[in-house]
Amino acid sequence: MYAWNDEQLMIRDAVREFIEAEIAPKREELEFGDTPPYDLLRKLFATFGMDQMARDRFEKTIAFEKSVEAAVAAGDSPPERESRNEGNDPSLSMIPIIELCRYSPGMVTAMGVSMGLSSAAIMSKGTIAQKERWALDLLTLDKIGAWAITEPNSGSDAFGSMKATARRDGDEYVLNGSKTFITNGPYADTIIFICKLDEGNPPEERKVLSFVLDSGMPGLEQSKPLRKMGMHSSPTGELFLDDVRVGIDRLIGETEDLPSGGRDGAKATFTIERSGVAAMALGMIGKALELCIEYAKERVQFGQPIGEFQLIQDKLARMEVARLNVENLVFRYIETTRDGVSLTLAEASAMKLYSARAAMEVALEAVQIFGGNGYMSEFQVEQIARDAKVLQIYAGTDELQITHIAKDLLRR
Amino acid sequence: MNVIVCVKQIPDPALPGELDADNTLKRDGKLILDESDSYGVEMALQLVTAAGGGAVSLVSMAPNEEVSGLRTALAMGAEKAVLVSDPSLAGADALTTAKVLAGAVGKAGDYDLVIAGTESSDGYTGTVPEQIAEVLGLPSVTFAKSIAVDGDTVKVERQTEAGYDEVTCPLPAVVSVTAGVVEPRYPSFKGIMAAKSKPVENVTAADLGIESVSWAQSITAVEDAPAREAGEIIEDDGETFNKIVEYLDNLKVI
Repeated sequence: MYAWNDEQLMIRDAVREFIEAEIAPKREELEFGDTPPYDLLRKLFATFGMDQMARDRFEKTIAFEKSVEAAVAAGDSPPERESRNEGNDPSLSMIPIIELCRYSPGMVTAMGVSMGLSSAAIMSKGTIAQKERWALDLLTLDKIGAWAITEPNSGSDAFGSMKATARRDGDEYVLNGSKTFITNGPYADTIIFICKLDEGNPPEERKVLSFVLDSGMPGLEQSKPLRKMGMHSSPTGELFLDDVRVGIDRLIGETEDLPSGGRDGAKATFTIERSGVAAMALGMIGKALELCIEYAKERVQFGQPIGEFQLIQDKLARMEVARLNVENLVFRYIETTRDGVSLTLAEASAMKLYSARAAMEVALEAVQIFGGNGYMSEFQVEQIARDAKVLQIYAGTDELQITHIAKDLLRR
Repeated sequence: MNVIVCVKQIPDPALPGELDADNTLKRDGKLILDESDSYGVEMALQLVTAAGGGAVSLVSMAPNEEVSGLRTALAMGAEKAVLVSDPSLAGADALTTAKVLAGAVGKAGDYDLVIAGTESSDGYTGTVPEQIAEVLGLPSVTFAKSIAVDGDTVKVERQTEAGYDEVTCPLPAVVSVTAGVVEPRYPSFKGIMAAKSKPVENVTAADLGIESVSWAQSITAVEDAPAREAGEIIEDDGETFNKIVEYLDNLKVI
């Protein structure tokens, strides 16, 4: 594909109209007023039936898993899963991401962590009961989820330096630790808490376990939103656990010996997350370029629009090159996914690395084109420049993407 | 309950329009659903939901078998459409359009109510809904700002300059709606994906039994509206407010 088809255009136009009517006018309060994004996201979901689509998909998945369970219990051979990609059009998730990022990339972060990462942790490894208890509400955004892995001393090396612990105590576990930079942390209803099982053994030998916590449990404290450079519409916070007691029903999979899912499981998560960042970059680059073209035509200096100056033209041309490249990567992802072909780890990482760098470069050049105005919060390019930086940090830093690309190439 | 909605597909008002040789609007590009018809579609969908069953069907007349605007209304939830596309109808006047749409209504199946916008955003004749009613031999209610169906009658609040009239009328009837009647929904993703497989029946004037098409109306000339005259510029010397007061006083507005 080289362009959106009629149907995708209709979706894009409808979503854009909604966002320009409902979200763009609230940019100030989302950016500087600590207004949580969840009600607007829920309205977006309800308006376009995204909640109902998630519910339908969930019910289909659970019905299938129950039929497998019943067949296994009866000693029959389990039914075969329908092709995963049948009827799966990734543009349906990509278009809202791209369009939201034209005004509020933070909302995509808040949405993605809740309905993506947090629900996926339960949907991939949880029991059917756990999925019904927690995952459906996350997928529909009825409840907000947080995925708590990062700690003050563990970032890219998440498991190596993880300090959070679970200790067995009778039939229960006692959880302790602090987490930071947790998206949705301040407001999450459902928290996936990742920690190590402390059996008195050395930390590097401990099993990694994931628990599902509810907001308000005794011993669990959720901080206020942290001040940060950008992504202001995505509330980020700290979590503190002080002897939080949980039963095995909150241990994902209800077993300490969960198969890890191996390289394929991790790769699938990385691919979804990294393609999402590419879509975010496309939305931000597209908007920055539009704003710059408009400004270059209108802003007059030395008696002519600044777009007449070749140094400004050079910036616009480079932005268009970046936009085309990122758009091609996003279109390529949509097409391969629709054909049931998954990206290699190197491809997914390369897509994220390039898109994040391109977004940062375009955003900084956009500020430069706007000059003094661009440094002012009143002009949207200032926000785009602050928001873009995190694309090079979260979902795996640029440095981590480079190592993943190289390792994947060298492994072959 | 079945409702038929007359919808017009028009050139995108956001783009600069062009005229054909006969001084009518060029319509050879992509046409979109006239926003003033999206209110009628929404009203019809709500009436069918309130009635607990039935369908919303669309009728439209457009060149080149254009369906882009119809797809939007189908994505909102209408079930099917009849599209009259016939080169002989290019530049048709309001009465001819009404005859054609009335014929299309006859093709769209059983109905209890026909809804149309008060006027289109490109032609603005504002007469087609009443003419359709006359051709079909049905009662016509105009300028509806609310519609409720009660058994075999329709209750309409009819917008007037001073307020509104309450009108009750037997069904079937033709009702034209204002932009205030309801807030049109956004089409859902599922609706958009389903729209392309919904049936659109393409017919010609002959299919509707309209054999010879001609109309007396023609547009002889089109001229730009006169440009606004330049206003009077008063330099502010600190006492300018007196001049403004004097000016407004002369207009007898204060």
